[in-house]
Amino acid sequence: MGRGTGRSRLVIVALLILAFTLITLDYRTGRSATGARGVVHSALGGVEDGLTAVVRPVGRALSSLAHPNRYHDRADRLAEENAKLRRQLADDGEITRTGKELADLRLLADKGQYSLVPAKVIAIGDVSGTDWTVTINAGKADGVAADKTVVNSDGLVGTVATVTAHTAVVRLACDPNSRIGARLERTQLLGAVAGGQGPSSLVFTLYDASYRVQKGDRLTTFGSLDYVAGVPIGEVTKVTDVGGLSRTAEVKPYVSVGSLDLVGVVVARPSTDPGDRLLPPRPAPAASAAPTTPPPTTPPSSAPSPAVSAGGTASPGGTVSPGGAALPGGGASTGAIGSPRAAVSPNAPVAAGAVGAG
Amino acid sequence: MWEILDTDESVRVRTVAVAVVLLVIASVVQVSVVARLDLPGGRFDLVLVLLASVALIEGPLVGAISGFVAGLVADLASTHVLGQSALVMCLIGYAVGLVMDAAEQSVAVPLVVIGGAGALGTLGYGAITSLLGEAAMTGGEAVGRALAAGLYAMLATPFVFPLLSRGARRLAGDRRLAGDRRRGGR
Repeated sequence: MGRGTGRSRLVIVALLILAFTLITLDYRTGRSATGARGVVHSALGGVEDGLTAVVRPVGRALSSLAHPNRYHDRADRLAEENAKLRRQLADDGEITRTGKELADLRLLADKGQYSLVPAKVIAIGDVSGTDWTVTINAGKADGVAADKTVVNSDGLVGTVATVTAHTAVVRLACDPNSRIGARLERTQLLGAVAGGQGPSSLVFTLYDASYRVQKGDRLTTFGSLDYVAGVPIGEVTKVTDVGGLSRTAEVKPYVSVGSLDLVGVVVARPSTDPGDRLLPPRPAPAASAAPTTPPPTTPPSSAPSPAVSAGGTASPGGTVSPGGAALPGGGASTGAIGSPRAAVSPNAPVAAGAVGAG
Repeated sequence: MWEILDTDESVRVRTVAVAVVLLVIASVVQVSVVARLDLPGGRFDLVLVLLASVALIEGPLVGAISGFVAGLVADLASTHVLGQSALVMCLIGYAVGLVMDAAEQSVAVPLVVIGGAGALGTLGYGAITSLLGEAAMTGGEAVGRALAAGLYAMLATPFVFPLLSRGARRLAGDRRLAGDRRRGGR
């Protein structure tokens, strides 16, 4: 190998120059080499899809391998039967789990009136582990296009980055390059959610500095041409605001990246903004949904609905606090907030009446 | 470039080809099987472990070239800037290959070197993404993840390294056999 060192030094210098050239070119020109990328994506995507399909049953089959396949005597036959039944049970468990996930996704789609294409995650990240992306097994052939919103039953997963015929790469909301328009629950206040803080934290920037973001506030997507509105994003865990022109806060997303499996790509938007109704109901004391959101519709139509939902939640203690929670919001901003506040005060006696009755 | 390879031993090309195929398969397995395991603390990087083993067995030239090519394929399959894994994997392949002579002296050498390659490679990925302004984690997190990756790589070495060196010996045996036959035929 001694005489090889001069040559290998030459080769590595050449390779390093090549690597730096590639990085510079690709970084400067944005997304170059899309043709080659498309070919590699669809080729490897197919392999990944097949591999995922193979690997799942293998895990189950391994557990039944412990039992030998001989029929010599009764014990062996029983063991064989036992193994078969165990495998069947495992299969049933898997089917039930997938069924439940599908049903949850369906429920979310119904609530938001979205049209979903369900898909399975077939690859997570990339080789270097620095990309916050997942690959799913639905593509152009299923109606998926770039920039579509991807959700699962908990909320927002991310957006479609690139798409091939039968697979698509989804950029997760926690990717440092991801910025998604967001809206604070109960208000029309705008902001943006960005990643870059690791898998379980997002940064929310509120554009209106006069409003105080509070711990526990919840976010949904704002919606634009490609993004759908109303998809739950997460809950504010810490306000990191440092008196600038905008307010920032840390947000814990509803979706956990580690356990992503079944997701849905929203291929068609609802005709109307679903508002906050996709957010999960609040736990007991901070009780839910009472201040429904109906964005500026007519007061008479919005007034009865909180009373109805307050009666429906059947948690008497809870009906009082939403009014209190809505107040700081009402005090801070103008226009959009005005109507909820107006809606709250006439409600209070109604809610109290409902409590008394219950 | 090919004559550089050919002058030494003409079968070098085949070794590189086998190594590249192995690494590309490993990178598919990495994203669709290993990434699912969701290991605590960090990630197990199968590709880096295999690359370091190959480089330790075959030397810096094969390590650098196969690392570069496999990294380029991985870059094409991802959405990040082209060439960043190619750069890191090329450097790791070369650096590990430099200590190939020490690998025969002790069992601990492959263990330490491959573990170190796992940690250094993960740090390298983190460093280059932050250079390009796409950092996904803070410095402390990156170091923690690198240490975890090194530990997992070290744990995998006793299984991967002997298997690969046996495979390499068989490949070399074929080569010698084929060479003998050719010489015998003449």
